[in-house]
Amino acid sequence: MLCELCNKSEAVVHLVDVSNNSRAEKHLCKDCAASQGATIKSHMQKSSSSTKDASDVLPEIFQNLSATSGAAEAEACGQCGTTYRQFRSSGKFGCPECYVDFNVKVSDLLEKIHSRCEHTGKVPSTASDDIAQQKELQTQQKQLQSLYADLDKAVNDEDYELAAELRDEIQRMQEGAAEA
Amino acid sequence: MELSDLQASPGEWLGGTGPEADIVISSRIRLARNLAGYPFLSTANEQQLGELERMVRERLLNTCRAEGMSYFSLPSLGSIDRQFLVERHLISRELASGKGARGVGLAVDETVSIMVNEEDHLRIQGLCSGLQLREAWERVDAVDTRLESCLDFAFSAQFGYLTVCPTNAGTGLRASVMLHLPALVLAKQINRVFTATQKVGLIVRGLYGEGTQASGDFYQISNQCTLGKSETEMIEMMERHIPKIIGFEKTFRTSLMQQMREVIEDKVWRAYGMLKHARMITSEETMDLLSAVRMGVSLGIIQEVKMDAINELFLFTQPAHLQKQKEAQLDETERDVVRASYIRKRLKQSD
Repeated sequence: MLCELCNKSEAVVHLVDVSNNSRAEKHLCKDCAASQGATIKSHMQKSSSSTKDASDVLPEIFQNLSATSGAAEAEACGQCGTTYRQFRSSGKFGCPECYVDFNVKVSDLLEKIHSRCEHTGKVPSTASDDIAQQKELQTQQKQLQSLYADLDKAVNDEDYELAAELRDEIQRMQEGAAEA
Repeated sequence: MELSDLQASPGEWLGGTGPEADIVISSRIRLARNLAGYPFLSTANEQQLGELERMVRERLLNTCRAEGMSYFSLPSLGSIDRQFLVERHLISRELASGKGARGVGLAVDETVSIMVNEEDHLRIQGLCSGLQLREAWERVDAVDTRLESCLDFAFSAQFGYLTVCPTNAGTGLRASVMLHLPALVLAKQINRVFTATQKVGLIVRGLYGEGTQASGDFYQISNQCTLGKSETEMIEMMERHIPKIIGFEKTFRTSLMQQMREVIEDKVWRAYGMLKHARMITSEETMDLLSAVRMGVSLGIIQEVKMDAINELFLFTQPAHLQKQKEAQLDETERDVVRASYIRKRLKQSD
């Protein structure tokens, strides 16, 4: 469906206002919705009865997310080539890999949508081994990151004894990971 | 199984047999699943779409023999048949109007339907009559577990099941109940209920799901978030909130009857009279009148018709159902005539 205002882009914001027995619908693209931002916001506050769909909240969330640079916007998924900008305008990922390639931004986005960003539900029985490994890898990576941060701090503080210890520990972890 | 086999009866979920069936028409659980190693449908080309559909269809039919699964390819169905499936809540409007290779697997009793190549590669849905979210979940969970053994679903430890739209990621689970809330509408309390509902993280939708209008005082309530809570936690959250809405509806039915009995009785009997005598009637008017009659039956104002007959009328008076019965394509005016005559006949039978 095309945007009612510009008739050019795909409509992604669907406003439905149901009051008494009348019903009004408005279908807008992201840009036109943004330019009408004030109206839409006041509209939503005014009309608590409007049926709001999950997908309708996306453009709003994108607006509220911290501004990303042009380069970050043009970043493309290595698997399917979908850029982050394309994803922002359609609200649709191109392939499962998009979740990996846009990981940091996706975490942020999912947190905004669901208030959480860690899955705690069903795990496919066939995936369990892989998942266990992945979980372990994630923990290791987090530990490594914090060790590197400590190392930086130690070097800055000119505490070379601690820096050497940290360096060895990092080396041990990396060797361990390589063997596994 | 042929589509025409479904036509004779309304499907188990509309049977009006489940708990709280007076107010809760049905409970539905749907899971969104995608296959690892394939692009999502948002970027897949025609060939990939075809390949995906063929593979899923074959595995589906092999794995779900127990359910007596039949598969229907959408492009091979005519527009009336597609609309027929939408009216029975077995497929979405999006699947009906979509393009390219896509289809639906249906269990023989219509309690499980699996859409292939809708927004996600698979949408597995379970439908139960009345308030039975847990039963619907158990059905869908069992089918999903069996499909897992032959299909490799896209899953990440952090984000769970990966879906086209991030609003479905995680469990991919949308639980919804369809409620009939005429008293809350009459008492102008429905918006208050919705505001409270939205505050606890549930969303309110129209009769046919996302982006559709409420008609006949039917509303669908579903969970908004799909990530960060387990499937059971989500269902428990719904199970805590829905009974409150049912309670409000019941309270207002009682108080309306105490405060304005004549007004309510008049509304119910007038609606019944119109349905029994009209010679032409639109789908929309039918929904409104049936809604009033349904409430009247539930309150014992009308005793000569049974609830399941009214439930059936809601479905059988829809455009595609009428046209399937007549085995003919009918324009709007013709449908209004056929609809009125069908309703008269059915209500006469139950006299």
